[in-house]
Amino acid sequence: MTDGVVRYATPKLGGYVVLTALGLLASLIFARPELAAVSAPFAVVLAIGLAVSRRPDVRVYVDVDRDRLLEDEEVVLEIELDARDSAPRLELLVEVPSGLELVSGANPVALRLGFGEERRLELRFRCTHWGAPRLGDLHLRAGDAAGLLVWEETLERGSVLRVYPRPEELRQLVGPRETQLFTGNRVSRAKGEGLEFADLRQFVPGDRIRRINWRASARRGELWVNEFHAERNADVILFLDSFVDARRSDRGTLDEALRAAATLTERYLLEKDRVGLVNFGGVLNWLRPGTGLVQRYRIVEALLNTEITLSYAWKEIDVLPRGTLPPKALVLALTPLLDDRAIGALLDLRARGFDLVIVEVSPLPYAETPPGELGELAFRLWKLRRDGRRLQYERAGAPVVEWREGEPLTSVLEGVNASRRHARARA
Amino acid sequence: MAVTLYGTFAADRLALLVLALGLTGAALLTYALATVNAGSIVSALVGVAASWSLSAWTRGTGAPGGTVLAAVGIFVAAELAYWSLEQASVPDEGELVARRAAGLALRGFGALFLVACVLAALGLRPGGGLILETVGVAAAVGLLAIVLVLARAVYEAER
Repeated sequence: MTDGVVRYATPKLGGYVVLTALGLLASLIFARPELAAVSAPFAVVLAIGLAVSRRPDVRVYVDVDRDRLLEDEEVVLEIELDARDSAPRLELLVEVPSGLELVSGANPVALRLGFGEERRLELRFRCTHWGAPRLGDLHLRAGDAAGLLVWEETLERGSVLRVYPRPEELRQLVGPRETQLFTGNRVSRAKGEGLEFADLRQFVPGDRIRRINWRASARRGELWVNEFHAERNADVILFLDSFVDARRSDRGTLDEALRAAATLTERYLLEKDRVGLVNFGGVLNWLRPGTGLVQRYRIVEALLNTEITLSYAWKEIDVLPRGTLPPKALVLALTPLLDDRAIGALLDLRARGFDLVIVEVSPLPYAETPPGELGELAFRLWKLRRDGRRLQYERAGAPVVEWREGEPLTSVLEGVNASRRHARARA
Repeated sequence: MAVTLYGTFAADRLALLVLALGLTGAALLTYALATVNAGSIVSALVGVAASWSLSAWTRGTGAPGGTVLAAVGIFVAAELAYWSLEQASVPDEGELVARRAAGLALRGFGALFLVACVLAALGLRPGGGLILETVGVAAAVGLLAIVLVLARAVYEAER
């Protein structure tokens, strides 16, 4: 135990002092010496206990077996105690942050350490929720042999764990309408170097011989060459609405949105697309589009630090710096459609010509119909208003799909693709 | 409770008052343990001690029979009550419980020896006769035995 130790008297010390004093006083007042004899054991415990009590010297080492893990995985916290002096009773409490639950091991625990004794304690925790919990902060309380004095100390030895959301299964991603200039896995509408056949055209000087389509050339009596679609990447911006969160106990719309964002980030990056993030909420933050593993970790770290911050300040899309939203980017919004600022910003993005897809993380499973006839009426009006908003987006050319709790994300994205195919066919 | 009942039955007069004081102390102790309230333990023990003192006063001057046992009973009750409070917040490991139980027994026997010595030094002859003397001898032997066991345990641990 170090200099941050606080020493205080236990209730037992106060109680024994009172009992001793009362016994001796009563003995004097009532002239009954046997009362002094009754209080003698208390007085002796006080005298000997205080005379021999000394501050315990215990060194504590804390370690976690890993600091990056997925939801539902387990982490082991090892606590090593090295007593330089005996500790007759040592209480040890590990602070368990929200998002972690104890699976095995005792917490808190009271134990005894002899002179020079070493003990190793293992506590196993399960990560129940994504986030960045801090694990390993300890509270130590050591008592003397008589239980009269206590030394207490808080040791901030915690490590910040990175608990990543467990990714959802995805079969298909939402394809962007436009591709960018860099090489990727997406078949571009533009012609260039690639594998997908696009068209035939007449041979011109400079064309490679290997591109000549000999069958077509033989039929037409002149040289014709194959043209291919170029393979390009796309820019995908994940727009996360973190103004409000519809929540019930340990689940909420923000949790679902973050889990989806982490999954989409991973999958788009695997497709060699550039992925960026706009966290549009009480606290605004963004990440410019990028590729690769580093970008994936950047985005997931930003997602882990996302929280709802209450703010009444009006925010528009203009506050985002130039370059955050590159032209021709696919903007995939994850929103419960509850806050007017996010709703307005999305309409603004569509008006600027961005390819916008809105995944509405439905707040309905978290909402309860208010009691009474008026409550029901208000609830129906609220739902009608939400339908009106969806219609407004669809008129503006941005498909909205509703994602309800428990529904797989992949089916939602397939719904988006289907609606975009229909829209193209109509056009 | 035993101290209260003994005091009540041994009282020459005011037995109901002795019982009332003792029962109040016992009730307070129960309340203190149930609500983990350390402040009430002192009041409870004072109540029990007052009950026994009143009983002793009704029996005239000098230390009445059972003084030593009553004193040890109150002391052990206090030790157990504060131990219970500690267990309510953080329970002890099995090894620690055994050590603390041994320590409590040691302190109980020590208290028995101490109170008997104090009464003898004060020139008071507590009643009890052969039974109390037997308990005293047993306490002294037990005390020595516990000291020997602990000394051996410490010696082996250091080796």
